[in-house]
Amino acid sequence: MHAWSAGWLFVVSIGSSALGGALGMASGIFIVPVLTLFGGLGIHAAVAASIVSVIACSCGSAAPFLKSGLTNIRVAIVLEVATTLGALTGVLLTGILSVPFLYFLFAAVLLVSASQMMARRHEILGETDVSNLRDWATVLRLHSSYPDHALGRDISYRVRRVPLGLALMYGAGLISALLGIGSGVLKIPAMDTALRLPLKVSSATSNFMIGVTAAASGVAYFVRGDIDPVVAGPVALGSVLGALLGARFLMVVSGNKLRLFFVVVLVALAAQMLLSALGIHLTGQAA
Amino acid sequence: MSTDLARRPGLDELLAKALHRGTWLGSSVIALGLALPMTGWSGDSSAIICTRIVTAGIALLIVLPVLRVLLMSIVFVRERDFRFSAIAMLVLAIMVLGSVLGVISS
Repeated sequence: MHAWSAGWLFVVSIGSSALGGALGMASGIFIVPVLTLFGGLGIHAAVAASIVSVIACSCGSAAPFLKSGLTNIRVAIVLEVATTLGALTGVLLTGILSVPFLYFLFAAVLLVSASQMMARRHEILGETDVSNLRDWATVLRLHSSYPDHALGRDISYRVRRVPLGLALMYGAGLISALLGIGSGVLKIPAMDTALRLPLKVSSATSNFMIGVTAAASGVAYFVRGDIDPVVAGPVALGSVLGALLGARFLMVVSGNKLRLFFVVVLVALAAQMLLSALGIHLTGQAA
Repeated sequence: MSTDLARRPGLDELLAKALHRGTWLGSSVIALGLALPMTGWSGDSSAIICTRIVTAGIALLIVLPVLRVLLMSIVFVRERDFRFSAIAMLVLAIMVLGSVLGVISS
């Protein structure tokens, strides 16, 4: 039985992606659980389909960030060396790691996302006088500035601890390839805490990098024949439309009640994924 | 002395345009492949052709970030920023390695 007909996949993807978009998250974090828990798809097939929609959403939403001058493309390309290497490692590991482990890992990432949604991000200030002329960021000339429309002027910032950032990005790339998610949930904290980028800059730069990270594993999955066009086609199309809707939605509603609602959704999905890891399927059945 | 090399409106604009248009092109091709069966079009191999169109759209979307990195590499070369061009080429090489890995493990 094809519970995942094109129409069903399309509608579900619009919903998942709009949810993700409204929260500033990539769609994969909702799409993979929905496909495995309710669509009866195996986790490998769901991950391969999701990675295409992650690429599409990243590329489709990059333009406004780039035009607003928030994306630091030099930082992005440097960190992409680590994320793509991590993604390749993920592709190699995906056949070795057991399916229950992948469900466990997914549940863990959902819980991390939920806790991040509760804790508000804040700028880490201080140590502004670190003028080490030989650190990586200075040598690579990564320091930059961004236009702050509220203040009406450019705010300059310095980039810190690039090696730590690279290490964290390798992990983010690995998780992205294994779980078919954008890993923004791991990239953004890495940029906030390791590189000490301003919040708006790290959000924009993370979003910009997600496409390349996902494409590194996406290319491998595509060539390997893991991506089923019957599933991935409607999912990708629905996600692009959902992301557009989600971005509009974000501007209309953004309150604490909404955040709380999504924390509940994330925790519920995590519980379901955890049950799947233990071999208990309440809905549908994973292959 | 200007150290703010990361802010380059020209390159930002170019990448924004390429990514935006590429996403729409890939999505439109997928939409075409999905919509064709609904028009009542049927032939000997209509289902196969529609699936191939969807696959082509998916391939376009996957290749888009690869092209973005290539584009950045070319712009860096033209600006004689060889270090960053090399970094972009390295990312490109890793992505190509991914496809090789896919072939080997298929």
